[in-house]
Amino acid sequence: MSAAAVSAPESDCSPGTPLYGEILEFLYREADLLDCNRFSDWLALFTEDIRYHMPVRTTQVLSSGAGFQQMAFFDDNIHSLRTRVRRLETDTAWAETPPSRTRHFVSNVLAAAAAGAGEYAVTVNFMLTRSRGDQGYQLFTGRREDTLRRDSAGQLRIARRRILIDQTVITATNLSVLF
Amino acid sequence: MSTIVRELDVPSDSGSPFTRLANGEQLEAIVRPAEGIVSRRIFADPEVFAMEQERIFGRAWFFLGHESEIANKGDVVTRQCGMDPVLLLRDDAGVVRAFLNSCRHRGMRLCRTDRDNLRLFRCPYHGWSYNTNGELLAAAGEHHYGEGELDRGALGLIPVARLGSYHGLVFGTWDSNAPSLEQWLGDMRWYMDIIFGRTGEIEFVGVPQIWEVDCSWKFATDNFTDNFHVFYTHQSLVELGMLPTDPDFASHGHMVTLDNGHILHFVQGPPDDAYRGLGLPKELWPLFDKHLSPAQAKIAQTHGYSAGTMWPNFHWLQLITAGDTQAPPIGILNLRLEIPITPTRTRMYSWFAIDKDASHDYRKLSYETYVRTFGPAGIFDQDDMENWEECTAVARGPAAKRYSLHHKMGLNRAPDPKWPGPGIGYQDSYGEMTHRAWYAEWLRQMSRPSALAAGRAAR
Repeated sequence: MSAAAVSAPESDCSPGTPLYGEILEFLYREADLLDCNRFSDWLALFTEDIRYHMPVRTTQVLSSGAGFQQMAFFDDNIHSLRTRVRRLETDTAWAETPPSRTRHFVSNVLAAAAAGAGEYAVTVNFMLTRSRGDQGYQLFTGRREDTLRRDSAGQLRIARRRILIDQTVITATNLSVLF
Repeated sequence: MSTIVRELDVPSDSGSPFTRLANGEQLEAIVRPAEGIVSRRIFADPEVFAMEQERIFGRAWFFLGHESEIANKGDVVTRQCGMDPVLLLRDDAGVVRAFLNSCRHRGMRLCRTDRDNLRLFRCPYHGWSYNTNGELLAAAGEHHYGEGELDRGALGLIPVARLGSYHGLVFGTWDSNAPSLEQWLGDMRWYMDIIFGRTGEIEFVGVPQIWEVDCSWKFATDNFTDNFHVFYTHQSLVELGMLPTDPDFASHGHMVTLDNGHILHFVQGPPDDAYRGLGLPKELWPLFDKHLSPAQAKIAQTHGYSAGTMWPNFHWLQLITAGDTQAPPIGILNLRLEIPITPTRTRMYSWFAIDKDASHDYRKLSYETYVRTFGPAGIFDQDDMENWEECTAVARGPAAKRYSLHHKMGLNRAPDPKWPGPGIGYQDSYGEMTHRAWYAEWLRQMSRPSALAAGRAAR
């Protein structure tokens, strides 16, 4: 069998393939870590060169584009993500002390081989529910565009995350939860 | 036995009906700024909120946006002037204008996007269209109108009563009897020069972050002149080494109260050049002398932080912070606006601004630092909203409403005659003089009959 034939299945990540199943399981496990407040374990899923980015969305007419602007709610690198997680692990980050109860739902998962070696472009719809204290739910929905990269140990990691939130005006106390 | 409840329990039969609440209480009895007494009732009570509509949101000067947000002819952004939706635009001749965002026919909202570039505004309902000067160009089915039925000249878009700008910050008011913007800002302009004119010009970057919080607009406003919450509210960042461990760290400076309720702080940071010059890179410091008076330049040079409120609900935050535990501290300029929606819900606007002459590298680092620390996801800011919501939630209770909040810090502190700027300066930035000055203006405005009511009384 030629080398090309061996690598061919590895780039096919259409639904039903083993690779699609692996990506899906990765996304589910990631969501579970967040919902179980295992933030340090969640952080370990990111590459050192991560850009974790949620641009601000504006309402525009269709012909003006999707409305994502040169401003962001999140624009993190690995250091600022680590700082967020370390902060959540103090008992004085009042926005999350006591913590939110979150459910991260991911669906409509599509994956394709990306330009970089061992990289996959993965898009999902997300829904994040947040219940905190005795208050009603806060709801966040949107599209997420991830680049997953296989590391030297063969594990998938998140190398880029672009979070395209549906709301232009965030109807929530704050964005102290993670996406 | 504690008699704290008595402090609000003042006989009210002598007060004006104009400031009397349905339960018989007088606003001036339950809000006594000179004594540091502010009733919790004014924060979540629908009756007080209804009174604020005309008396505050119908006539103060409000921040609408910065000219850099509408740089080109035909650029428009949709904003609020007080609580009313407005179009802020640059017309075909390059003139900045603001109109009620509403067609003159049925009142339909005319522009339903956040920003656009338009030559004309056409109403989706019946097709009435207006040019960027606000003139009605055409109404639907004009040939069906008889003689005198459609006075096109009188049906232009409704402009804000007065519009003005200072350092590119555009303000509008619905009160045609309001003082000019210059008069209303008064001595605040001297301090705005330092924040917005220190290197020539500043510009707003991108669009505002906007979010809605279940809080009284006044709790948010109160927080933007409050330096001593920083150590406690943002305790997590002290733990991470991103803030000093000395609880008094943000007290080393001055606060200033001015006419018309404008208030501000200038605070020195740790004795390090990174915490001087408002956190701007040193190559920009020589511009202070070029654009500011010697006294203004000295304030810019020797201070790191500043917070100011242009009464009632627009604030600057000039801060120095790191974006994460590994990054260097750097200056950020954040502009904040609170738009009330209900007594207990408020729409927050947060903008990032930067000096036009800033280098690419400084611009990038300042932006990243801002996004990571401020706005709804900012590791500083998100804890503030927790306070505003919980203070508001508790203030809804009928028992809580009988009690005052406590705004007495520095009640007996004498002004510092050596403060080099206009207004009344106080040494030690931990104090509630600026809070009290804000509530004093609130009470003054709430006690002042509107022009409309005065006109009605005259008839």
